[in-house]
Amino acid sequence: MSALAYFLEDEGIATTGISLVREHTEQMQPPRFLWVPFPLGRPLGVPGNPEFQHDVIAAALNLLDSHAGPVLADFERDAPPSGEPEASWSCPVSFGGPKREATTLVEEVAAEVRELAPWYALSREKHGRTTVGASGLEIDAARTLVASVLTLSDADEFDVLKFKYAIEDLKAYYLEAAAASPGADINVNTWLWRETALTRMIRELADLHRDSPREDLRTLIASGFVPREFR
Amino acid sequence: MVRLADMPDIDAQHLRDKPCPQLPKAWVPAKPLNERRFALVTTAGIGRRDDEGFGFHTNDYRVIPNDVDSGELVMTHNSVNFDRSGFQQDLNIALPIDRFKELADRGTIKGVGTHHYSFMGATTEPLDYEPTARKVAGHLKADGVDTVFITPI
Repeated sequence: MSALAYFLEDEGIATTGISLVREHTEQMQPPRFLWVPFPLGRPLGVPGNPEFQHDVIAAALNLLDSHAGPVLADFERDAPPSGEPEASWSCPVSFGGPKREATTLVEEVAAEVRELAPWYALSREKHGRTTVGASGLEIDAARTLVASVLTLSDADEFDVLKFKYAIEDLKAYYLEAAAASPGADINVNTWLWRETALTRMIRELADLHRDSPREDLRTLIASGFVPREFR
Repeated sequence: MVRLADMPDIDAQHLRDKPCPQLPKAWVPAKPLNERRFALVTTAGIGRRDDEGFGFHTNDYRVIPNDVDSGELVMTHNSVNFDRSGFQQDLNIALPIDRFKELADRGTIKGVGTHHYSFMGATTEPLDYEPTARKVAGHLKADGVDTVFITPI
């Protein structure tokens, strides 16, 4: 990000923007950045709050008035909560234990996807969009693809990126469904990784294929599979 | 929150280990905001639904029209170590297209370019972006853009 700023500026295009990791920006010294005290994934602070987002942008745009650099300024305000303030969030569907009708992990995930369907539909309506679809598969096809990797053999054809995008689609489906309920905030991630059969399946896939002869699958599991804070 | 000292050790160490070469100096002189035409550049790994998703360790980019329907955009960033729920609820948290249209409508800025650009950050060596960043600079200048607002993820 800092490097992009430098190369654009070197081509005659002025740059300003947001830094989430102050130490990186301090070391690299790009022309102008505003460090913000927000979580990774939320450079503008809070979803659905145009006023606050404009405050962040205005602080970054102010840096364009500087006459010499590099400039690294701090945005001093924390992001306000993004959920409804009076609400205490709980997932609309309780996944406390194995589904009664589900006898395998694959069936448990299928049951979760079914139970979340009306909440996902509600979320699409509420936000007017969905971010599910990176894999190009319908959600049940994405679920089937991910589950099939539980029995992947070394001889099977395998597209590691399609597999990763199918996982991302499933996580997006769960998180968007969860966000349909009042008070949803960043804590939906804890719910996803602590309470769902989907992420139990993801961990099982990681255990199964950590030493896979397929280098791309090993790389994916080592770096882009389970968030460090939930390993 | 994202000062390394405030993060869990395992996350902080991962970020400390990232290569962060000091960059040469480059500086475009100041001019009034209302004379600037903006585009957005992000490293959030966003693309259109029909675009090829981002691979690993890649310096390529996706083009996002300013008039894109936000429902057309998906994220294929490699990293799982950041929160995606904000982006799922509001595109503007990572790519503030609506906010910049509002600034143009108010006359705060001169205008917004016809295209924005998305790279994938985190796993690509910083200096490896040079060829594609310079190419994007050419596209931006052809579009009359003189200022870029950059967002990470």
